[in-house]
Amino acid sequence: MTHAGEAIRSTDEIAFGAVRLEELVDRAALTEMLESFHALFEVPIRVFSAEGKLLAEVAPPLEMYTYLGHFRPAREAVQQVVQAVKHRSLEAGGEAAERCVTGARYRVLSITYDSRELGRAILGPFVPAELAQPPEALAALDPGLDPVELARLFAAMPHARDERIAAAARHLLRTLDLILFSGHKALLTSNMHLASVRESYRELEDKNAKLQEAFDRLKELDRLKSNFLATVSHELRTPLTSIIGYSEMLYEGIAGEMPNEQREFVGTIREKGEQLLELIKGLLDLSKLESGTMSLTKANLDVGPIVADVAQTLTPTARKKGVSLAVSVDEALPRLWADAARLRQVLLNLTENAIKFTPAGGVVTLSARVTLMSAARGDDDGGGMVLLQSRRPAIELRVADTGIGIPPEERGRVFDAFYQVDSSSTREAGGTGLGLSIVKRLVEGHDGTVSITDNQPRGAVFVVSIPCRRATIS
Amino acid sequence: MQLDFAARELTIKLVYYGPALSGKTSNLQALHRLADPGSTGRLMTLETRDDRTLFFDLLPLTFKSAGGLSIRLKVFTVPGQVIHASTRRLVLQGADGVAFIADSRATETDHNAESFMDLKENLKAHGLSLRQMPLVIQFNKRDLSGIRSDEEIAGLAAQGREPTYLAIATRGQGVVETFIGLLHLTYGALDAEHDLGKKFGFDADELLAQVARGLGSERLVAELLAACVGGALDVLRPEVSS
Repeated sequence: MTHAGEAIRSTDEIAFGAVRLEELVDRAALTEMLESFHALFEVPIRVFSAEGKLLAEVAPPLEMYTYLGHFRPAREAVQQVVQAVKHRSLEAGGEAAERCVTGARYRVLSITYDSRELGRAILGPFVPAELAQPPEALAALDPGLDPVELARLFAAMPHARDERIAAAARHLLRTLDLILFSGHKALLTSNMHLASVRESYRELEDKNAKLQEAFDRLKELDRLKSNFLATVSHELRTPLTSIIGYSEMLYEGIAGEMPNEQREFVGTIREKGEQLLELIKGLLDLSKLESGTMSLTKANLDVGPIVADVAQTLTPTARKKGVSLAVSVDEALPRLWADAARLRQVLLNLTENAIKFTPAGGVVTLSARVTLMSAARGDDDGGGMVLLQSRRPAIELRVADTGIGIPPEERGRVFDAFYQVDSSSTREAGGTGLGLSIVKRLVEGHDGTVSITDNQPRGAVFVVSIPCRRATIS
Repeated sequence: MQLDFAARELTIKLVYYGPALSGKTSNLQALHRLADPGSTGRLMTLETRDDRTLFFDLLPLTFKSAGGLSIRLKVFTVPGQVIHASTRRLVLQGADGVAFIADSRATETDHNAESFMDLKENLKAHGLSLRQMPLVIQFNKRDLSGIRSDEEIAGLAAQGREPTYLAIATRGQGVVETFIGLLHLTYGALDAEHDLGKKFGFDADELLAQVARGLGSERLVAELLAACVGGALDVLRPEVSS
């Protein structure tokens, strides 16, 4: 809850925090404002913080004070006045006047905001307009003071009428109040922005933690599901093997000849049993692949014969459907470090699929060529080729059909287990929806990728890229 | 709440909560209009371009007792719109008391309930429960048509815990009553918990009377408090742990 704690601090500041003059006004800008004030009213002006620190002043040196500075008693008297002015106690919002030995006056103003004194403004020294001469007491401070000089310097001091200075003081306080209010508002707004951002961040972190937890639980469930599938598939296989075995024996007449009709029924039992076995094997493969317990027996092998073998195996199926099966294998393909049986399974599955989804009169093309492995993912748009293309050669196996094709938005999902683009096609075309997910995992088991692109003018191409071993490059 | 013994100052935070456009800001504007200039500063509104409250409105009220004690009341509104959830939670932090401003129109009943549940949730996020929070409810906009009847509200309020007030905030009606009710409960709860009366020399009755006067009300505090149409004005006491 550290974040919430910080947020509390910032909102407490908003509710209760005492603001400081130096936080709300910019000193340079304040000086500029005072300069303009001075230009209007021609009276020296200084602004102090609540602690008595000078924040801004516009007070050109007065010759009178330079002169008095040469005489110790006069200097001390002036300093006394300055101290009195600075430390004069004031009611919040109040003001006071202070007289100087020179006859000049100071006006001390309390800068109050939200019922608190944030600082003071001091106007002066200025000589009240009605005063024509310096007070006699001034010359009496020190015998060395020259009355003629004093009179001259007195005349050079800023003169102003008291009412005018009072009006100026009101104007100054009004202006400062506006600045303080605006500054305070801006300060609160930025504090709130910060606090909101922090709070939103904290909320997001909470949500993320919950999502992560849910994700971990799902992952664990998924693992359990795979384990379960593996166990069940394994257990299902054993009795099924017996069922198939016995029905095969019956079919072969080992237990005596059967009438044709019975034999036909037993044949169906065997056939369906084998279909079931294939399905169970698929499930077992998938769960092994998911749990990472599938062991691949890799060896250096030539791809050409495997492609040819797959084509040969499926030629009858294709012919039955009226689909022609073409093979194109480049010469001098590098050898591949792969599991021959699994690679065959991949090709067989993709080609079987392609035939299944190609209407009569269509063509399924199996091809193999050498290419360079790209670091780009399957959904890449082909940009940055110069950066993404690796120097590692790969073998690209393509299975192209002229069927209905696969819409781009479905291409990622067809590799999910049990997924079918159109569930109605299952009834029509058969299949469990396991094949492609097994293909993907097997290809990934070979550090390869599988993706789908369009076939022109119609149909889909499944592209399997499997990198050659680094050792085979040189 | 914040106590500054040196400056003899007590600062209390009050929050006006409620659904969007129920009149929380109108309540503050009315209080600002009614308050004598010496007691209040500017009403600070942090609003969006369309005049809706973005973060909050803040009305500072300061009252000085005869004994030189200052009571500073910081009255906040929360932004009612649903999207400002985290801002509402932030503004609610450290609140000493809450006035819930409901819209009297029958069609707004669900919004009122949702906002109230939101208040409850946000209090929970700060480790507080409704029971621990001094709370008054105001049914605002009594001048509109399609509102729930006085009898209906009074009937429901009588069964509830929270003092309930009727108001037309834009005309200033019921605004001071709601505020005094809230301050009565809030100050009472703070006093019960921190013993302000003894330690600090505050007098609750005097404070309420002074605030009522400062808000331009000629009526007695008891009359203002009695304007509530239901609920209990009993002050919350901290639970004594056994």
